[in-house]
Amino acid sequence: MDNGTSNSASENETITLKSCDGIEFHIDARIANRYTLLNNWNGGESACIPNVNGKVLEKVLEWCEHHINDPQLNCGDDDSRRRNTIIEEWDENFLSCDQDMLFEIILAANYLEIKPLLDLGCKTVANMMKSKSPEEIRSAFNIDNDYTPEEEEQFRKENEWAEDY
Amino acid sequence: MIALPNECLFEIFINLSGNYKSLFSCLLVSRRWCRNVVPILWNELDISKNKNLLKTCLLLLNDEEQVKLIPFDLILSKNQNPLFLYTSYTTVIKINSDDGIINWINQEGHGSRYSTYYSCLNIVQSIKYSLTLMFLRTCKKLKDLSIYGKSINLLDLILVKNFSLTSLKCPNNELDSEEINVEIY
Repeated sequence: MDNGTSNSASENETITLKSCDGIEFHIDARIANRYTLLNNWNGGESACIPNVNGKVLEKVLEWCEHHINDPQLNCGDDDSRRRNTIIEEWDENFLSCDQDMLFEIILAANYLEIKPLLDLGCKTVANMMKSKSPEEIRSAFNIDNDYTPEEEEQFRKENEWAEDY
Repeated sequence: MIALPNECLFEIFINLSGNYKSLFSCLLVSRRWCRNVVPILWNELDISKNKNLLKTCLLLLNDEEQVKLIPFDLILSKNQNPLFLYTSYTTVIKINSDDGIINWINQEGHGSRYSTYYSCLNIVQSIKYSLTLMFLRTCKKLKDLSIYGKSINLLDLILVKNFSLTSLKCPNNELDSEEINVEIY
C-alpha cells in the first residue's frame, strides 16, 4: 500500500514512513504530529521503523487515519481512559482480526507510543478473558502452565477470596 | 501467542480492575501473568467482606503482630509463608464492619470455645489491631485506611508509622466522643 493519504494529501503535507521490511507509506503529516514518535522516522529514504513490519504498520496507520479528528487525550488522565470500557463499532470491526495480528498491533502501538490504540487493543484482549476459567484462557491464548501443582494450589488458596468477593 | 512485554500485560489486566473473578482466573494462568495480576487484584481491599481474604491477611502477620492474639489461642496456620507479600501493593483498606471477622471466628470453631472467657468483641478488636499493625508495616503505598467500629486506639501509631496515608476514617470507634476523620495533606 502506497496511498496512505489519498483523500487529504492534496491539501495537507505528507510524510513518508518505511516499515522494517522496506514498505513505504505516505501519510498525512497531522498523524505524525499527533503521535510524535512517528515523526522520528520521517524521511523514508534511509530511515525505517524497526520492529514493525509493513502488514502491521498498514493496520496501525489505517487506525490513525480513521481517528485523525479525535479530540486529543489528556495524558495525565489515566483513570478516565481506563474506566471507559465501551468500544466503538468501527474499532471493534477493525480489531476483529486474528489473534496474532491483534497482539502485533498492541506491540506496535506500545512501541510507537500510540496510547489510544494501545488501550483499545488491551481492552479487546481483556474482554476476551472475562468469565473464563484459567484453563480456558490458557488454551485461548496458547499459554503453558508453568506452575508446579503445589504452587498453583497455594496461589489458589491465598487468592480464592477473589472468587466470591 | 506472541509474547507481550509485562507493561502490555499490565495494561490489559488493569481493564479488569474490580472484576475479581476474572483477575483470579488470570492469576492462575502462569507465573508471569500472576506477577502482573497480583498488584491489581490486591490494590483495594475490604477485609470485612470476605473471610477468605481475612485468612490470607492473617498469614501475613509476623510474630510481633500476633502478640495480641496469643491469649485467644487462635490457630493461625503457619506452616507455609504466603507466596507474595500481597499487601505491599494495597493502597486502599476498609474494615467497614466486623462481619467478616466474626464469620471467620465462627467458621474456625473459635466462637463456641472462647465465648465463655472473652467476649467475641474482644477477639474482633484484637484481630483488627493485629491486622492494622501488619498493614502499617507492609502497605508501603497505603493511601486510604478506614476502620469501622470499636477498636483499640491506633491513631498515634498510624500517624507515626505511615507516611503515604492521605485519608484515615475511624467512624463509631467509641474512643472519643467525636468520630475520627482525618484528611492528611
